[in-house]
Amino acid sequence: MIELAGDTLVFSFPEVFPGARLSISFQRTLRIPDDGKAHPLPAGLGDLPLRHVDDFGSSVPAGWKQRGGVMMPMYQSEATWISFRSYGVPHRESPYPFAVKIGTGRIDAITGKRWRDGLLKTRQDYLIVPEQPWLDGYVVDKGLIRQFVAMPLGAGYTAEEQITGKAGYGGLQICVIPMKPDLFEKLFPLRSEEYLRTMMPARYTDDEGNVVWSVGFVSMGLAPGGLMEQEIYLDEFGRDAWETSVSSRCFVHIANSLVWRAVTGEAPPQPPLTSKEYRQAGVPWFKYYHEGLEAVEGSKELAELKSVIRMGREKGDVPVPENETSDPVRVIELGPKGRSRVSEW
Amino acid sequence: MRNEFGEYVRQARERLRKRDAGFSVRKLAERVGLEPSYLSKIERGLQAPPSAEKIALLAEKLGDDPDVLLALAGKVSDDLLEVIRKRPALFGRIIRELRDLPDHAVLRVVREVRDGEW
Repeated sequence: MIELAGDTLVFSFPEVFPGARLSISFQRTLRIPDDGKAHPLPAGLGDLPLRHVDDFGSSVPAGWKQRGGVMMPMYQSEATWISFRSYGVPHRESPYPFAVKIGTGRIDAITGKRWRDGLLKTRQDYLIVPEQPWLDGYVVDKGLIRQFVAMPLGAGYTAEEQITGKAGYGGLQICVIPMKPDLFEKLFPLRSEEYLRTMMPARYTDDEGNVVWSVGFVSMGLAPGGLMEQEIYLDEFGRDAWETSVSSRCFVHIANSLVWRAVTGEAPPQPPLTSKEYRQAGVPWFKYYHEGLEAVEGSKELAELKSVIRMGREKGDVPVPENETSDPVRVIELGPKGRSRVSEW
Repeated sequence: MRNEFGEYVRQARERLRKRDAGFSVRKLAERVGLEPSYLSKIERGLQAPPSAEKIALLAEKLGDDPDVLLALAGKVSDDLLEVIRKRPALFGRIIRELRDLPDHAVLRVVREVRDGEW
């Protein structure tokens, strides 16, 4: 079951395990310079708004209605990262674990393969929560990603268009699969409050009238931007750990700011910061380490994608305003215990 | 007519007054912009409840739920009325269906994000 709580998607599986809940939100963030250097992770600057597609009846494109789900606004060349949070289960040492698949335009962001529901048998095409708190982009190499950057669908930049040659879907796709309940029981048996207090809580965290649009590009998709250091952790539980019979999935449409305003009547958030503003405001950068966990290999398909800047140069386009190269000044290192990368910077 | 509203307000106010002298009839009436004698009559059931706006203000000062006070006064808040007015048949049916459900079951009635074809 998926609910929208404010600007957060909440996936819950009460039929699998009481308290098995995962929330996913999309953070506004700095588009990092695409200068060939691998950057640390930029901060979260607040949630991108999410709305039910069904709330806007015939003013959304027919394709969006057909796919259901939610929609969010992004400016062209705006970047986002995805935040995952699994809720604590009372008297257990770990929040409930989930396998999460992320696609953009139905291209898997970890493997670069076309989307299919369920988990691949041959390689890991999902990330695991709570181990993985964030995903910032396409996994191009072990420990290296290319940032998610919004581009108009149809202009040729998105990962989907580069891989399939078609501008069919755009947006973001999510599939959430909970751990099998008997395995969770076995791995994280009931503990007394006392035990949990005294144990070092390494894994514990608290709690038909279709409209034709006059604007050129209605839907947006995600395209590869600058490089960042981020590891996608190998699944230490194994593929059979996940209760694949009960997956829950959601399509997140991306509207540019004009379309968002026209459809919802709401003002989209302020345009994102430039790297100069980011530096001037003293907003920090982040590195995340989870000791003892291995990272998945990168995807050959994704590594071969052209970044937005490179493709723009080849097309003779200026698809995004240049973001000057800058060396991150303040880098904060975070581990599993201190996870907040979001604040009122 | 039974004086449910006035009696409820009086009891809530008296409870708070034990700890805070700001909850005398006079002081509370001043804070919500009513004549003290008018509030006193409301409490004793000699006057009908005030406007929805004043009721909401009273609820705020008493730390109570405005919907509860409005219901006791035989009123429904404007935003709820608007919701019902937009789809009267649907919401009439929903409310009647939910009438006898226990609270915990009602709390489970939530809106799901719809998945479509893709």
